[in-house]
Amino acid sequence: MKEQTYMTNSQRKSMRKNLFIIGILCLLIVIVFMISMNTGFIRLSPLEVIQTLFGSGTEKQHLILFEFRLPRIIIAVLVGMGLAVSGCVLQGISQNALADPGILGINAGAGLAVMLFISFFPSTTAVPVFLLPILAFTGAGITAIIIYALSYKRNEGISPMRLILTGVAIAAGISSAMIVLTLRLSPDNYQFVATWLAGSIWGSNWKFVLSLLPWIVVLIPFIFSKARVLNVLNLGDLTATGLGASIEKERRVLLAAAVGLAGASVSISGGIGFVGLIGPHLARQLVGSRHQYVIPTAALTGGLLVLIADTIGRWILQPSEIPAGIVVAVIGAPYFLYLLTRIKD
Amino acid sequence: MSTPAEESAEIETLEEIKKHSHPLIAIVILFGGMTALLFAIGLSISLGAADIKLATVWTAVFNFNPEITSHQIIRDIRMPRVLGAAMVGSCFAVAGALMQGMTRNPLADSGLLGLNAGASFMLALCFAFFPGLPYMYLIMFSFLGAGLGVLIVYGVGSLSRGGLTPIRLVLAGAAVSALLGALSEGIALYFQIGQDLAFWYAGGVSGTKWINLQIMAPWIIVAMIGAVILSRSITLLSLGEEVAIGLGQKTKTIKLFGMIIVLVLAGTAVSVVGAVGFVGLIVPHLTRFLIGHDYRWIIPCSIVLGGLLVVLADLAARMINPPYETPIGALIALIGVPFFLYLARKGGKEL
Amino acid sequence: MTVLTIDHVAVGYANSLIVEDLSVSIPKGKITTIIGPNGCGKSTLLKAISRVLKTQSGAVYLDGRAIHQLQTKEVAKRMAILPQSANAPGGLTVFELVSYGRFPHQGGFGTLKKEDYEHINWAIFVTGLNEFKDRSVEALSGGQRQRVWIAMALAQGTEILILDEPTTYLDLAHQLEVLILLQRLNEEEGRTIVMVLHDLNHASRFSHNMISMKNGTLIKEGSPEEVMTCLNLQSVFNIDARMTTCPFSKNPICLSYQLNQKNE
Repeated sequence: MKEQTYMTNSQRKSMRKNLFIIGILCLLIVIVFMISMNTGFIRLSPLEVIQTLFGSGTEKQHLILFEFRLPRIIIAVLVGMGLAVSGCVLQGISQNALADPGILGINAGAGLAVMLFISFFPSTTAVPVFLLPILAFTGAGITAIIIYALSYKRNEGISPMRLILTGVAIAAGISSAMIVLTLRLSPDNYQFVATWLAGSIWGSNWKFVLSLLPWIVVLIPFIFSKARVLNVLNLGDLTATGLGASIEKERRVLLAAAVGLAGASVSISGGIGFVGLIGPHLARQLVGSRHQYVIPTAALTGGLLVLIADTIGRWILQPSEIPAGIVVAVIGAPYFLYLLTRIKD
Repeated sequence: MSTPAEESAEIETLEEIKKHSHPLIAIVILFGGMTALLFAIGLSISLGAADIKLATVWTAVFNFNPEITSHQIIRDIRMPRVLGAAMVGSCFAVAGALMQGMTRNPLADSGLLGLNAGASFMLALCFAFFPGLPYMYLIMFSFLGAGLGVLIVYGVGSLSRGGLTPIRLVLAGAAVSALLGALSEGIALYFQIGQDLAFWYAGGVSGTKWINLQIMAPWIIVAMIGAVILSRSITLLSLGEEVAIGLGQKTKTIKLFGMIIVLVLAGTAVSVVGAVGFVGLIVPHLTRFLIGHDYRWIIPCSIVLGGLLVVLADLAARMINPPYETPIGALIALIGVPFFLYLARKGGKEL
Repeated sequence: MTVLTIDHVAVGYANSLIVEDLSVSIPKGKITTIIGPNGCGKSTLLKAISRVLKTQSGAVYLDGRAIHQLQTKEVAKRMAILPQSANAPGGLTVFELVSYGRFPHQGGFGTLKKEDYEHINWAIFVTGLNEFKDRSVEALSGGQRQRVWIAMALAQGTEILILDEPTTYLDLAHQLEVLILLQRLNEEEGRTIVMVLHDLNHASRFSHNMISMKNGTLIKEGSPEEVMTCLNLQSVFNIDARMTTCPFSKNPICLSYQLNQKNE
């Protein structure tokens, strides 16, 4: 390309490095994907997996891969992507390193909705699986809207600090409401809700994939197209205005997109909130702070992380499962702590 | 390094802080709060499943007669509980104030040090592997867990190149909390003890006995005095590391002591009532809102207001739906959330 | 020719007005400097001019059109702002930060075009940052960092530059370098420059037009000769100043001063 002749060597090098990192992450996802396809109660060799993928396996293999494992794997990757990118946006617009989808009350709202439903309709032992995501999404959305409305001031709009404080307060309120509800649940129902809250990919079903996919496919590219806006917002309100970003409008749009992504993800996976916190941090460690690179890298890291976590969670205590949210925190947190000791501020 | 211009600007803000703190209001709050606290304690002792007159409370305290049942109830059940509540509230509030001052982050509370997560992790382990452990041991293990959480967070901070900067502290705390939280969640799910844990936390301060108070009180009193002594340094630290160093503060030592005090205070409180950390978040905010930014006033006022808040919450917890107890954390949130929302709207950048 | 008109502007924060009913106009193609004591509303006025703060009454007009009704991106193509204290997010290189200055000129995904590269490289060159191009902004000294922010404003390629204390954090030589650079941009390319300076002598030496403010009101506006008078400095800063003439620019400068005894 002609434009690139204007780049200095080291710029070209850093661009190549970033693209290389993105490539490696894609490769890792493919590798873990293969491993994950192999993992489960019934072992399948890599060859069998490939054969089945291309349509020449036995009927049983076909059933296991296409009806159980494949949708679950795809959901894991999508959920990770959604949460990480959502976290990216939230950290970008709030300029707070601790921001994650949790600060918008998304996890809490979704959890409360699920818990309320189960508290008041405990008789339904086989909870209608398709109702839960809808409930969770509604809960997440309503909470986000309440938080937004409460932190909006007519003349000043939304200040990131006020948004965070409001979010924390509402989330704390919801959590204590959930404690009260917890005490009323029967042990069986409690176990179900607790597993859900801990974040598990239990909806291994193509219908869930289809309900999540549009959000990811539409919103992540949209947020990616706003990468430059996020860059500029990161410089502070004053500079961003000077550069001609309509901060209030951009913030609102980006917030809505982040809520959509996180809400859709959480509704299917429960609370895997930690991905939203560390995904963007890991990405920035890898590729710097320009969102053109941070967003795709965060998406891939998030997807990879949840995929690995879900695979481990399925494998380690066979035949019972550990919720992916727990595994994510157990493998993600130590690595994150290690990173913290390495980096300068 | 900050330039002279910056420093002078920040010293100017120090002057600002002095100008904007309101010692008079602080004194009023201190004494008014103390009176209110005493009254609330009395009220809390007299109200309950068996109603006892305030006068009886008075005689039970100052003129104890073991023959009278109501005196026994007061002495053996209600008094330790109420004192426990006051103590827990003060502990959380002071620990929160110290954390917010040290990290310069208005969202900080003792939970950030990994305290809450550490305590509940240990508790989960106890419930899973040693069911039926006596109350006193549970408290001790919780405290150990809280210490473990702090140790990891602090260790990560001191292992890293730039030292324990506020942002690193905050991030490390979040990560450690997530880790320990996930582990206890996993344990709770696997051993199916989640609801038992919830019941334990919902119990609040109801299990407090004189013996617990006797063991904890000396530590807490020492830590509180330490907090008051540190308060001036915390004010300077809240202006930023460089300014504090420039004004001759040994910031590392202050942070270490601050952290130890937070551990003692919040560790004890968490092991007694579980994570009602919201007290630690809102009370310092409320105090700052009322009396300004001077930690020499914030800390004593936090002691009083924190105690008051939890005593009232505990009273409400017993009164709402007797003989059942409403979880105290839920009540504190019920009072705290609207208030905190109001603060967030009003100020937004209070620190 | 007037390029910016401030028309009966009142502006401030949530419940306090900092500037009340101020009217002044900024001439096109000139250097205008605002002086005044701390807290007199200089920065607030700059923020109103640069549409960061909404005016509570009155309006700011850019070429006769109210600035709040214009598309913010269109304004950004004509007017660049250097705020007083700016923070760069971690991990950005000098080139990357300066390239953010091209934001208003980019569309879509914003790959840098030939023209963008030219602006960015020119801005880096004139601010003397060539050798730091690929360094991380955090690793620079305060003065170098200040120049990076100036370079970003320059890369924006606007005819109007608004700078809030562009010489803070800089040593004597670098202060002068920045001001001379601004002077050159003004002389050679006819750019309009509006800035706040604390150094009165620099203000006098480099400006065509000076605005002195106190307590949110305009005290005196005019050429350095008109504004830099003992009487005016006394009423603005409450100082007793001895004036002389700059040997280089022949503008009035303040030789030394003491606090005004009478009002103290």
